[in-house]
Amino acid sequence: MLSFQPDRSQYPQPGPDGRLEVDLETGKYLKLWQGPNHPGITGNMSVELTVCGDEVVEGKTHVGYLHRGFEKLMERRTFIQVFPIVCRVCVPEPDFNEYCYAAAVEELAGIEVPEMATWMRTLILEMGRFNSYMMFLGGISGSLGLGLVGQWMTYVRDLMLDRFEELTGARIYHMFILPGGVRGHLPEGFAARMEEVLQTAEKYLADVDRVMFSNSVFRLRTEGVGVIDPALFERFGVTGPNARAGGVVKDVRKDSPYLVYDQLDFIPASGKDSDIFTRVKVRRADIDNSIGLIRQILEKMPKSGPVMARLPNVLHWKIPRGETYIKGECSRGEYGYYMVTDGSGYPRRINVRGPSYTHAMALLEHLIPGTNISDVAALMVSLHTYPPEIER
Amino acid sequence: MSLREVLTPFTAWKHVLDAPVTIPDPIGREAAERYRGFHQNDMETCIGCGTCEAICQNGAIDMVPVEGQVTEKGDSGLRPMIDYGRCCWCALCVDVCMTGSLTMSNEYTWVDTDPDAFRFIPGLEEPWKDKEAGYRREGGRELSGTKRSHMGELAPALRGDNFSEICAGFTREEAILEADRCVECGLCVATCPAHMSIPDYIAAVRDQDYDRGLQLLYETNPFSEVCGRICTHKCETSCAALHEGDPIAIRWLKRHIIDNVPMERRLELVGGAKPANGHRVAIVGAGPGGLTAAYDLAREGCAVTVFEALAAPGGMMRYGIPEYRLPYDALDRDVAVIQAMGVEIRCNMRVGRDIALDDLKRDHDAVILAIGLQMGRGTRIPGSEGPGVEKAVDLLRRITAGEDVPVPERVVVIGGGNVAFDIARSMARLQKATHGTVGVTLTALEDRAHFLADAEELIEGAEEGVEIIDKRGPQEVMRDASGAVTGLRSWAVTSIFDDQGRFAPAYDQADERVHEGAMVIEAIGQMADVSLLGAELTEALDWNRGRIAIDAGFRTSEPWLFAVGDAVKGPDVINAVADGHRVAQSVMERVSLQEGIS
Amino acid sequence: MRDLHANLKTRHALGPFEPRRANLGFVTVPAERLRGLLTELRDVHGFTHLVLLTAVDWMEDGLFQLTYLMNDRAGDRTLGVRVMLNRDEAVGEDMHDLWPTAATYQRELKEMFGIDFPGSPRVDEEFILEGWTDLPPYRRDFDSLAYSQQTYAERPGRVTHDPRAHMKSKLYPEG
Repeated sequence: MLSFQPDRSQYPQPGPDGRLEVDLETGKYLKLWQGPNHPGITGNMSVELTVCGDEVVEGKTHVGYLHRGFEKLMERRTFIQVFPIVCRVCVPEPDFNEYCYAAAVEELAGIEVPEMATWMRTLILEMGRFNSYMMFLGGISGSLGLGLVGQWMTYVRDLMLDRFEELTGARIYHMFILPGGVRGHLPEGFAARMEEVLQTAEKYLADVDRVMFSNSVFRLRTEGVGVIDPALFERFGVTGPNARAGGVVKDVRKDSPYLVYDQLDFIPASGKDSDIFTRVKVRRADIDNSIGLIRQILEKMPKSGPVMARLPNVLHWKIPRGETYIKGECSRGEYGYYMVTDGSGYPRRINVRGPSYTHAMALLEHLIPGTNISDVAALMVSLHTYPPEIER
Repeated sequence: MSLREVLTPFTAWKHVLDAPVTIPDPIGREAAERYRGFHQNDMETCIGCGTCEAICQNGAIDMVPVEGQVTEKGDSGLRPMIDYGRCCWCALCVDVCMTGSLTMSNEYTWVDTDPDAFRFIPGLEEPWKDKEAGYRREGGRELSGTKRSHMGELAPALRGDNFSEICAGFTREEAILEADRCVECGLCVATCPAHMSIPDYIAAVRDQDYDRGLQLLYETNPFSEVCGRICTHKCETSCAALHEGDPIAIRWLKRHIIDNVPMERRLELVGGAKPANGHRVAIVGAGPGGLTAAYDLAREGCAVTVFEALAAPGGMMRYGIPEYRLPYDALDRDVAVIQAMGVEIRCNMRVGRDIALDDLKRDHDAVILAIGLQMGRGTRIPGSEGPGVEKAVDLLRRITAGEDVPVPERVVVIGGGNVAFDIARSMARLQKATHGTVGVTLTALEDRAHFLADAEELIEGAEEGVEIIDKRGPQEVMRDASGAVTGLRSWAVTSIFDDQGRFAPAYDQADERVHEGAMVIEAIGQMADVSLLGAELTEALDWNRGRIAIDAGFRTSEPWLFAVGDAVKGPDVINAVADGHRVAQSVMERVSLQEGIS
Repeated sequence: MRDLHANLKTRHALGPFEPRRANLGFVTVPAERLRGLLTELRDVHGFTHLVLLTAVDWMEDGLFQLTYLMNDRAGDRTLGVRVMLNRDEAVGEDMHDLWPTAATYQRELKEMFGIDFPGSPRVDEEFILEGWTDLPPYRRDFDSLAYSQQTYAERPGRVTHDPRAHMKSKLYPEG
């Protein structure tokens, strides 16, 4: 209805090297930096827009504002010393790093993790996914001027952080999943307190449904906007909710079950319109999945048992030469660790594969031309981008 | 787009009167029970091993001396200082802590205007010092092994009637596992009298670099075959790993290295002596102290001659320690390396009988006395004079020499030290081989928990059929009309030391027992035979409570004469080795000085 | 996976198959056969998803390893295709026409490892680093510790003691 139909023919086309020749001197074009300080940007990243009027002709993603060289730092640390830094690759959902790293080490070192630990890990990952979506809902509503949802979600996320705190001993960087298992059992009465949080969350989410999804402004600005052609998914490495919103039900939890996901019941959320609205809707449904999964895990998990495998002395831990790839379904899609060992006490190479790497770079740059300036923020956020996993 | 979708969002207004969910004053909010907050350290439990520093991936921890913390056996006296400008609260330091002293409170607010305040030593004065809540690692120490690696041993049934070596030594797999447990803190090094490079040679086992391991052993100890088997291994009593598990089997790892380097390779690795320096040194006694000094001096280029009274070198290592603990060929290999340095060992040369001490003085630049404690002490109880009562050291010497010793069906041993067990277990073997049964009773003043012998002696002795009776004081050796020994009469011990801590055993005379036996063996201590000195020298020397007086450099009051080993210091092989090095150094100083004069 | 390897082996001059798990394996292919192999994997065998492209520096062997991790979602199979490049003149083949996302990976590899991919869009543009003049930092011969020591000041006042040496100085300084 209000969607914008530009006439691309009047704009220059990028050359074979990907560069767009735009003469700013003509006054026809304007460079506009969206970010790194911008409410519509998730985290430390910016999009360099070239606009003509209010239409965007080109967008380039810039990252590096938070580059700490994690992959290099990992090569300089012993296998146990890597464990505390991996979580820092991703603030909103750090636990995937801990899980993927631990699982990669365990596989290459031949360590069997106790069953209890795999349940605990699954619980942590779902709690992390829940929180990541809380931030996402806040972000997408914020990028469309609906700040209220962000406030609610911050509160709900904080309640979940309380559960993280009592379970793992920390709120953000939990450092709870380490090679060999996890650091502890559930505290006394944890399940009851978790249930309280989940019920509070459900109450707030019902409000979100009313305020966001049954909101004509939100729908007008997201329906039919930022459509990704499902034919692009494979070429652009689109995974997770972004793909599921386009009818491609990619979910590593189902496609290649890890931890205890094969013992849990859930149907990955999906949609078919592949626009911003559907992507948000899919994530909203995935939150319900996470809530259900947390309940199932707490009900089905063993009540006792060891949570740590016997490790060799970690001060001299050497792992034989080998390489592996461990992946999982994080809130944004396929998250994975590619690890190469050379027989020494240090990893030879670790490469972190975050879904934002493809979503916010090649895909976003492909989607941006032709959009309206005011839609860029929502488009970018709807891809659910966490820049640190691009620049690591 | 319906009207409903225009109006529904306004339902949010229903929250307008809700109480705010924010906490008005977050300062003082209690964190969760297992929150990883500021560090705590129990200063008394901490041993300053520095493992926390080693694991800290942020480089946030320094080990620093702390007032009131004393550097002593098993405690470096250092304590961790944490730089909160670097710490990431991962708690690996807590998880890896060898004693469990390092923990975290759940305290997380700390305001200070001085940035240096945040570089602090937990365990001193911080307000959260004694707070109960906070991160503690679940279960025990998980990040380094707590259980000692298995080692093969001869089963009691297979060893009871022979003198075959009991311990098989680690296999490579077992040794690597055991070496892996070491955290390389080095607390053991101070406890070892010879200050062997223990963490380094354990690392060599881990790296499977036995050549490097052997070179490290020889830097401080030419008796690794011996010490790898029978060392009193006091190092293991200051091992950081013992606080929440088994101490590292340092002794067996040493043996493992030497087991894995063939003789020819040892000689290659140790290398030859320096060119002859023209100095001549005589050493009286081929025990560990004398031979260690001989080894050092020979490597320095001295012409060293060792005069040994008995038929073979080794002293107590050969004639005291039974073969099942230390096979003679193992000792021979250690001695062979020493001989390869050019040391001449002249056996069956008793100084004072076969050659005069004066002759040695005349022909050498220095003489070292390393005569050991060869004479057994007697109990002097009634009936202890005469046949049927033996001294443990005499019997052990005769067994080694292959002489016939009487083997009655029942024997009583007095004493609870290692020598008592050596003779008890040797006699048990002879009995088993001769009679098919064991009849050895070992009585000691101490209660079981305070026996002077190593714990494994009690276990293995009992396995071999030695009856161990604690808290018995010998009163009389019982003899029949013909004078033959029939047993030992003893009273129960009520206390060993008096109020002032002096040795003064008290007995319950009502609790009297007779331990039946045709032989009573006294194993209550030894003394030196100093008759070789002769009256004139005995008179000239300074003495200290019945022992030749020496200074820190093992010099006697006569400038040409040095003394080392059990006769002047004791109490074990590794101390003798350590002192052997020191006396060699003193001798070198003396001969170099002489050189300067001439 | 073994069947697939047997099928492709001769045509693409593959090295031996190195299984890691039932659904993950690795194989090395000569650089000149890479495009053919990737295209066939993508178009014929269902490996449509390029999971990642990254490099491993085998400095001691003078080689860079490029790893193309290929995923067949329907079959739940992942194949790591390795290409070994001469480290001194590392040039990889541009694959952005097969997967546009490859351009991002290639741009990063150029910046972080110094591996060139001629023809890859914007391959010379700064990606993460800004004004970097040192060695490509993810190369093994770039010493990040030395770099940080040269670039940043240590906070003064930090002194530590080795327990073993400290005990020696206190208990037996003479040796």
